[in-house]
Amino acid sequence: MSGVRVVGRYSFILNGRPTTVEAPPGYTLLETLRQILHLTGTKDGCSSGDCGACTVLLDGKAVHSCLTLISQVEGREVTTVEGLAGSKVVKSFAESGAVQCGYCTPGFVVAVEALLRANPNPSIEEVKEALRGNLCRCTGYVKILDAVKMAISD
Amino acid sequence: MSEEILRRFREIEETRDFFIVGRKVARVDALDAVLGRPIYTADLVTGRPLYVVAVRSRYPHARIKSLDVSEALQVSSVRAVFTHRDIPGVNDAGSLIPDRPLLAINKVRHIGEAVALVAGEDYEKTVDAADRVLVDYEPLPAVTSPFEAMNPDSPRVQEDRDNVVTHFKIRKGDVADGFRHSHVVLERTYKTQAIDGLPLEVEVAYSFWGEDGVLNCISTMQNPFDVYNKVVSILGVEKSRLRIVQAATGGGFGPKSDETPIDVAAYACLATFKTGRPALAAFTRSEAMTVQCKRHPFTITHRVGVDKSGRLLAWKALLVEDTGAYISKGHLVIGRATFHCTGPYEVPNVWADGYCVLTNNTMAGSTRGFGAPQSHFAAEMMMNELAEELGLTPLEIRWRNMLRVGSLTATGQKIEDPGLELCLMRALEASDYERKYLQYKKMGDGVVRRGIGLALLYHGNTLGPEGDDFATVLVRVERDGSVVLQTGLTEFGTGAITSLVIVAAETLGVPPSSIRLERPDTLAIPNSGPTVASRTTPIGGRAAFDAAVKIRHAIASVASEMLGVPASGLEFRESRIYARDNPGKYLGWKDAVAECYKIGVELKAVGYYIAPPTRWDPETGQGSPYNQYTFGALVAEVEVDTETGVVRVDKMTAAYDVGRAINPLGLLSTYESGSIMGLGYAIMEEIIHRDGYLLNPNLQTYVIPTTAEAPRQIESIIVESPGPMGVFGAKAMGEIPVVLPAASIAGAVANAVGVFIRELPLRPDRVLKALER
Ligand code: FES
Ligand code: FES
Repeated sequence: MSGVRVVGRYSFILNGRPTTVEAPPGYTLLETLRQILHLTGTKDGCSSGDCGACTVLLDGKAVHSCLTLISQVEGREVTTVEGLAGSKVVKSFAESGAVQCGYCTPGFVVAVEALLRANPNPSIEEVKEALRGNLCRCTGYVKILDAVKMAISD
Repeated sequence: MSEEILRRFREIEETRDFFIVGRKVARVDALDAVLGRPIYTADLVTGRPLYVVAVRSRYPHARIKSLDVSEALQVSSVRAVFTHRDIPGVNDAGSLIPDRPLLAINKVRHIGEAVALVAGEDYEKTVDAADRVLVDYEPLPAVTSPFEAMNPDSPRVQEDRDNVVTHFKIRKGDVADGFRHSHVVLERTYKTQAIDGLPLEVEVAYSFWGEDGVLNCISTMQNPFDVYNKVVSILGVEKSRLRIVQAATGGGFGPKSDETPIDVAAYACLATFKTGRPALAAFTRSEAMTVQCKRHPFTITHRVGVDKSGRLLAWKALLVEDTGAYISKGHLVIGRATFHCTGPYEVPNVWADGYCVLTNNTMAGSTRGFGAPQSHFAAEMMMNELAEELGLTPLEIRWRNMLRVGSLTATGQKIEDPGLELCLMRALEASDYERKYLQYKKMGDGVVRRGIGLALLYHGNTLGPEGDDFATVLVRVERDGSVVLQTGLTEFGTGAITSLVIVAAETLGVPPSSIRLERPDTLAIPNSGPTVASRTTPIGGRAAFDAAVKIRHAIASVASEMLGVPASGLEFRESRIYARDNPGKYLGWKDAVAECYKIGVELKAVGYYIAPPTRWDPETGQGSPYNQYTFGALVAEVEVDTETGVVRVDKMTAAYDVGRAINPLGLLSTYESGSIMGLGYAIMEEIIHRDGYLLNPNLQTYVIPTTAEAPRQIESIIVESPGPMGVFGAKAMGEIPVVLPAASIAGAVANAVGVFIRELPLRPDRVLKALER
């Protein structure tokens, strides 16, 4: 079987648009987004579910796209950071100095979006808890928490 | 005449009030990152590149008896396998010292050392093929303790080099005499661990041939010119045939200034060079954590004598640094650590020996702080222990010994500004340190106990003895009046490049938003020196200033004609050029630029600055190794759970003397960033080697701070005591906030529970064990 690639066809809603993609069934959602669909906003920081850089929304909930197989999203709804342009979370991150190297930022933006959809008015403890899985090496988290506060009060 | 006007401009600029410097200026490029636009290396790959995967050593020390690549070549979609024999140029990838082969020759000296490269069409299959490269190893005894390695009978890590790479010395006064007159003499040993700088984006390089016959390589790094020079020599090509471009870079922290960016660039370029195909070389996280240069583990023994009043009389120090199997920057890190080993205190008699030692552990190199976090932790703990012994508070002993104007450092350098005292006063006031220290010291039997710690810092600025401290910045003005700034100094998240924009904007009197940055590109710009040692703002700022002044001079000569005002009587602000004595008389920036274009006055300048050379005697360490010092004071408040051993940092109050705050928003981010990175170093992070093997090169077991560990508050205080070197008096700041947290948190833990923990990190098990004593 060398040289022959098994590919599957998967259909799902991506950033509001019905999408069908051909990908090897072993591909993760992260690989499919970045390599096949060329949506590179979702970042790879570890490929092992430990950093949160690859966070996307699956049916509105935050998941690690590096641990989600493409076959698992069949018929479901995926939102990436590209689908959040214009949202108040994006705006508040851009305006509050929460971006240093920026590599963690898309993951944080999506995680915060998920939190605020589930709980529009979280306490600071709830925010910290919801973002525990997202690593940032640059900011010290202070400005990131400021951005969340700004998005909440908006 | 024109020199005269240039000089006038400089003087005016340096004495007038600032319009933009010191104001809050938002990062120009934040939105791209937030929207997830393709700006990082891996986002920029087009088409189907070859994936390049390294075969890495499974032993910390072994002879390579044979290497068989035939089975790997059988794997479908594999296009090539490279060993050291396939390197067309020089097989050396050492960033400064040529001691490190890109691909091992007949020996591996640390776990994870690269032995071969496999290039294939499909990533998974290429990884699989890399497993099929058969390497027959004969394991050799590994030397993993630097103390063992220092023993002359110990096997050598590098055959042609002594295990002790550098012996750094300070000899000041007469320590024997100082000890004789001492009332108390204490000797203590402190240990610090290896950590990974851990930029969130791992090393990745993408290479392809351009139509012009130039090999292009896009990558994530701090020092494009270091990478460029090494790859040119590895490939053995003409300099004009390679071009290195820095993509947006997802964090630096030192590792991206050392060895690994050279490695990935060389892997990709070698594959493209040999096959003609675009190639992508990217580390996995665990690969990055294995081979990225770590922060050096140190063992520091201090013997210190004080008189009855707490005045320091003699300080003897032994610093042993484990740099791993290759030197990287270890020979320089030991210098900074040794120069700073007595902390920011005046000691009349000092004897210090610092050793940089090779072992079969993974490499250590530059990690934010460059030896300073280690030496400050040991010095500050020593001061706390001396205070305890003498019945003084940590503040009292510091107050008696701290560096003030006119004090002499351990190297005999005279301190010229009051930055340290100013920082201390501000930090004390904001944190209510002394009262809380006494209060927490008294109440000591609850399960959760509070403590407060104080630590002081001095940090010799920029490279000093570590290399040529120069920078180059290009500025040009386009026909439409927009300004373009380009430099080989890089942005990797610190915002330092924004400072260059601010300096140029200030000098030209245009808004920062009208200045566009172009990506560092080795074909387009001259070498700008490395982006390390917190150099960008102070040194790069001088070069940006130089370029902007030259442009301003060119425009002024034209504007002067147009306005009928002598050039030296012009003022540039708010996108206008005013007659200083008659503000009603002015010219729009764009009109002046248009006129320059019309009459052919060139608006393009190369700005350059090189810091004055520093002098010190290598035999005694005496002299002035740095042109200026940054000072700081950090107060940390903690809670220690005496049942679980968990240390929680509640609040940090940080006061740093930044010289001049060019970019206050950037500074606050730097304070916060360093504070929490330092917190990780203090209480949780540790790369663990056992017998040369790595136990935790992954993010499940190597844990860095998250929002859960973030302190409730970080109070950032900006102190400005201008230095003589940096632009407008600015001092180095990028690394500084990472230096003190370990020292001040360990001090706070001692205040809370009454024991000094002399080894980092302050893990729960270590805290519990200390409490048993
Ligand atoms: S890349 Fe998915 S969690 Fe790190
Ligand atoms: S901004 Fe760099 S990792 Fe968060």
